[in-house]
Amino acid sequence: MDQHLISWIVFLPMIAGLVLLFVPRELVKWVALFGSGLAFVLSLLLFKTFWGGEAAGVFGDAYGALHHVERAGWITGNRFSIEYFVGLDGLSFPLFLLTTFVSLLACLASFNFDSWKINKGIKAYFFLFLLLETGMLGVFVSLDFFLFYVFWEVMLLPMYFLIGVWGGERREYAAIKFFIFTLAGSVLMLVGLVAMFFYSADAVAKYPELATSYNTGAQVTTGTFDLIELTTNEAIQKHFGDAGTKLLDVRFAPLMFMFLFIGFAIKLPCVPVHTWLPDAHVQAPTPISMILAGVLLKMGGYGFLRLCYGIFPLGGEFWASFLAVIAVVSILYGALCAMAQTDFKKLVAYSSVSHMGYVLLGICVMTTTGFQGAMFQMIAHGISSPMCFFLVGVIYDRAHHRQINKFGGLWLSMPRYGSMATLGFFASLGLPGLCGFVGEAYVLLGTFQAGPHFKWAYTAAICAAFGVVLTAGYILWVVQRVYLGSVREEYKSFPEATGREMLILAPLGALCILLGVLPKQSVFDFMNGTLNLLIDQMNGVTQMAMAAAGG
Amino acid sequence: MTELIAEIPAWFPKASEFLTFSPELAWVATLCLIMLAPLAIGRDARITAGLAIVGIAVTAFFTFKVMGIVSAEGPQTGLTPDRTGGMLIADNLSLFFKLFLLTFLVGVSILWMSVSANQEDDAPEFFVLMVGSALGMSLMVSTQNILMMIIAIEFASLPSYAIVGFNKQKRIAAEASLKYMIFGSVSAAVMLYGASLIYGFFGTLDVAQIALNAGPVLEAGGANRLLVGLGMFCLFVGIAFKISAVPFHFWCPDAFQGAKTEVTAWLSVASKAAGLLLLMRLAHVFCMYAGAEVLHGVAIVIAIFATITCTVGNLSAYKQTSTKRMLAYSSIAHAGYMMAAAAILVDANKVESFSAISAVLAYVVVYMLMNLGAFGVVALLESKNGGDDSITAFAGLGWKTPVLAIPMLFCLVSLVGIPPFAGFITKWYLLAALGETGVGLYWALAIVIVINTLISLWYYMRVIVQMFLRESDKPATDVPMSGALLVNVCGVLLIVLLIFSNPLKNRSDKYSAGLFAASPTALAGEGAKDSLAQSSPQAGGTESLENNHGG
Repeated sequence: MDQHLISWIVFLPMIAGLVLLFVPRELVKWVALFGSGLAFVLSLLLFKTFWGGEAAGVFGDAYGALHHVERAGWITGNRFSIEYFVGLDGLSFPLFLLTTFVSLLACLASFNFDSWKINKGIKAYFFLFLLLETGMLGVFVSLDFFLFYVFWEVMLLPMYFLIGVWGGERREYAAIKFFIFTLAGSVLMLVGLVAMFFYSADAVAKYPELATSYNTGAQVTTGTFDLIELTTNEAIQKHFGDAGTKLLDVRFAPLMFMFLFIGFAIKLPCVPVHTWLPDAHVQAPTPISMILAGVLLKMGGYGFLRLCYGIFPLGGEFWASFLAVIAVVSILYGALCAMAQTDFKKLVAYSSVSHMGYVLLGICVMTTTGFQGAMFQMIAHGISSPMCFFLVGVIYDRAHHRQINKFGGLWLSMPRYGSMATLGFFASLGLPGLCGFVGEAYVLLGTFQAGPHFKWAYTAAICAAFGVVLTAGYILWVVQRVYLGSVREEYKSFPEATGREMLILAPLGALCILLGVLPKQSVFDFMNGTLNLLIDQMNGVTQMAMAAAGG
Repeated sequence: MTELIAEIPAWFPKASEFLTFSPELAWVATLCLIMLAPLAIGRDARITAGLAIVGIAVTAFFTFKVMGIVSAEGPQTGLTPDRTGGMLIADNLSLFFKLFLLTFLVGVSILWMSVSANQEDDAPEFFVLMVGSALGMSLMVSTQNILMMIIAIEFASLPSYAIVGFNKQKRIAAEASLKYMIFGSVSAAVMLYGASLIYGFFGTLDVAQIALNAGPVLEAGGANRLLVGLGMFCLFVGIAFKISAVPFHFWCPDAFQGAKTEVTAWLSVASKAAGLLLLMRLAHVFCMYAGAEVLHGVAIVIAIFATITCTVGNLSAYKQTSTKRMLAYSSIAHAGYMMAAAAILVDANKVESFSAISAVLAYVVVYMLMNLGAFGVVALLESKNGGDDSITAFAGLGWKTPVLAIPMLFCLVSLVGIPPFAGFITKWYLLAALGETGVGLYWALAIVIVINTLISLWYYMRVIVQMFLRESDKPATDVPMSGALLVNVCGVLLIVLLIFSNPLKNRSDKYSAGLFAASPTALAGEGAKDSLAQSSPQAGGTESLENNHGG
C-alpha cells in the first residue's frame, strides 16, 4: 500500500465510480463521498513525507526531491518507451492535496442533486465526477510527458458531459466551447510531445558525454518522455537551447515553449483565450464550478512551471515581455469585466481571470519570489474561488436567480452564511491576514525584483498593483449590494445555511485564514525546496546559453 | 503418365507453391461452396452465414500455417517462374492483411445476421459478393506487379459495385451502385492507360524493375519524363480511387449512403485499407530501388494529396445530416491521415524506417474496430426505426438505449483521436513516424493532422450532443443480443487497446519489419539488384520482356 500510495489515491475515485454503477440509487452519493473522502484521507498521509520541507529526495537532490515514485514500463519497444511514471515533489504536492480536498467538498456540494432542475442520471453524474477527479490527480502526479498528456485529455470528456448535461440554460454551448478550446490547446502540445522525444534523442546522440541520467547515473542513449530527465539532462538542455536547433526553420526552444504555452494558457486562462471560462463556469452546476475554478485552472499554472519553464527556460526568456503584457492585461481586463457584471456567478468567473493573471505575471518574470507568489496564488485561489462559487450556489438554490442588483441585506436574514460570505470574498479580495494577500504581494514583489534584468518589470508591477485596487472595487461593491443594506421583503424568509452547507464553507473559511496567517508553515515550506532547484536549473541553462553565445 | 507430367509447362506452380497459396485456394473453395450449397440444401440465410464462417475459419487456419512457413523460411513469392517477379507474395504483410480481412468479415457477418438476415432472401449471393471482394482485396496487398494489381483491384471492385446496390427496392441504392461503378470503370481505364505507358517505356510491369530504371528517364527530362510521370500518376489515380483520396472521392459518400450499413462498414475499412497497403507496398518497393530525387518528388505529391484529403474530408463532413454520409467523409479524412505515412515511406529511402508501415498497420486495426462499432450502431438503430440514419435520429439515445449510445460514444471519440481510446494511440504512432524523419515537410504534415483532429471534433460531437444532451420522446430501441454484443466489444476493445497497447504495437512492428525481408533482393540473395539492373530496357527491351513473360 505504502509503495503504491499515489496510484491508490489517483485510481481510487475511478474505482468508486465503477462500483457506484452497481449500487441502488439512494446509495450512489454515499459511495461517491466514500471514494473521494478516502482519497483525501490517504492524501493526508503524504504530509509525513513533506513535513518540514527538507525531506531528502529519492534521487538525491538532483531535482525536485521526488517522493513516492512509481515507475513501470507501459508502452515499450524498440522505438520508444513510455512509462507509467508518477511521483510527487514540492511543485505537485500542494496542488495534489488541493485537488483531493476540493473534490471532496464538491462531492459534498453535489448532495442536493435530487433538488436540481436537471436531476436525471445520478449514477452517470457521480461516475463522471469521480472519473474527472482521477484525471485531475493523474495530471499532477505524472512525470512522464505521454502519461501527462493522456490524463490531461481524459478530463475533457467527463467535464464536457458534466457541464453539457447538468448545466444551466446555455449548457450545450458552454460545454462545446470548453471542449474545443481545451482540445485546440492540446493538439499543439501533441506535436510538442513528438518533437521533444525525437529532439531529445538527437541531443543524447550529439553530446553523449553530457547525457548522464539524474536517475540511474548511467548515460542516456535514447529519446525520453521523462519530464525530469528532459529538465535536468545537460545534453538535452544544451541541444534544446542551442540557437542552431530548429524545427520548421524556427528556433526550437521558443517554438516549443509556445506550443506548450498555448495549451496551458487556454487552461489558465489568459486574456485572448479566456472566453470559454465565463461561459463554462456560469453554466456548470455549482460543484463543477468549484472544481473548474479550484483545480482545473491550476493545471495551466502547473504546466507552465513543470513543462514550459522547466524544460524551455530560454523560451521563457524569449517571450518574457509578451507574457508580461498578457498577464497585466488579464489582471486589469478581468477585473474590469468583473466590475461590469450583473450576474453574480459571472462576476466570480471574471475575478478568476484576473487572479490567474497574477499567476502568469509571477511566473513570467522568472524570479524565485515571483514563482513562490504564483504557486501561492494558485493554492489561495484554489481555496477562495470554490468558496465564492459555493456561496453563489447557496443563494441561487434559494432565490433561483443570480442578479446582483435584485439582492440586498442577505446578511440580516442569513447571519451565519453572511459571515462566511464576507470571509470568502475578502479572501478573494486579498485582504491582509487572509490567503489572497500573500500571493499577490509576492507576485508584485517578485516582479519588482526582476527590474534590473527585465526592463518592463516596473511598468508591469505598477499596472498589476493597480489591479488590486480594481479587485477591491468590484468585491466591496458586490458585497455591499448583496449582503449589506436593509433586507428585502422577498428574501426575509430565506433559511439559514444548512449543516451541510456550513460543513463545506467552514473548512474553506478556516484555510483562508490559516494560509493568510501562516503562509510559510502552510504552503511555502512544502514547495520552496523544489522551486529553488527549478530556479537554479533555469539559471544554469541560461548561463550555458550565454556562454555559448559569447564563445 | 510420365509423358503427361513431363509436359507440365514450367510456369505451372509447384506443389510447395500451392501450399504457400493455400489460403487463397481455401478462399476460392469457400466462394464456390456458398454458391453451390443452396442448390443442395436450400436458400437459408443462417446456413449460408454458417458456411461462410466455416470457410473463413478454414482460410484462417491455412493462413496461420503459411505464417509458420514464412517465419521459418522467409517470405515466398509464387505463380511465376521468375522468383524475383513477385506476381503473388506471401509475406508477413499480406498474411497480416488476410487475417485482418477474415476477422473483419466475421464481424460484418455477425452484424448482417442481427440486422438484415430476417428480411433477406438473397443471402448466398450477398455472401458470395462479400467474400469475393475480400479475396480481391487480399490479392491487392499480395503483389508488386502492376498487372496483378489491376486484376486484383477489379476483382475487389466488381463485387463491391453489386453489393452497394443490393438494396434492390431502393432508388438510392441503385443510384449509388451506378455512380460507384462509373467512377470505378473510369479509374480502371485511366489505370490501364497508365500501365500501358509504363510498360511501353520499361518493358516490364514489375515495380522493382520500373523503380530501378525510372531515375534516368525522369532525369533526362523532355517528353519521356512527362509520359512516364503521366503513367505513374494514372496508376496512382486508380489506387487513389480505392482509397477515396480527394479529388477521387466523389463516389464515396453516395455509395456509402446508398448501401446497406453493414456493407458501408465493410467498404469503409476493407477497401481503403487494401488500397493503402497496396500503396504502401508499392511505395516501399519503389523507395528501395529508385534514386532519391525521384522519390522526393513522389513523396511531395503523396503529401499534398494526404493534406488535401484529410482537410476536405473533415470540412465536408461538418455539413452532413446523414450519419452514414458523415462517417463516409470521416473515412476520407482518415484515409488522408494514413496516406501521410505513405509519403514518409517513399522519402525516407532507408530500409530501417518501417515506422510508417507499422503505424498504418496499427491504425487500420483500430480503425476497423471504430468503424465497425460506429456503423454497427447506425445499422442497429436504423433497422428499428425504418431506415432513418439522420443525425437527429440519435436524439436521446444515451438515456433511452445506453447499450448502443455508449459504444457509439467510444467509437466517435476514438475517431477524433483523443485519450482514453485506442484511436489516440494509433494517431500518436502516425505522428511519431512523421516526427522520426526529422524533415520539415513531415513536421508540417504532423501539424496539418493535429489541426484536422480539432476540426473533426466538431462533427463527431454533433452525434454525441444528440445522444446525450438532447431529449426525445421516442421509446427505447430494442437491440438484438448479437448486435449489441458486437458493438460493445468494439467499444471496450478501444479502451483495452490503449491501456495494453504493447501487443498491438509489437505485432505491427513485427509484420512491417518482415516486409523488408520480402523484397526481391532478399529472396534472390545479393545478386538480385544486379540482375534487375541488367534486364533494364537499355540493355534490350525485348529481352526483358521475354524474361518476364516467356519461360
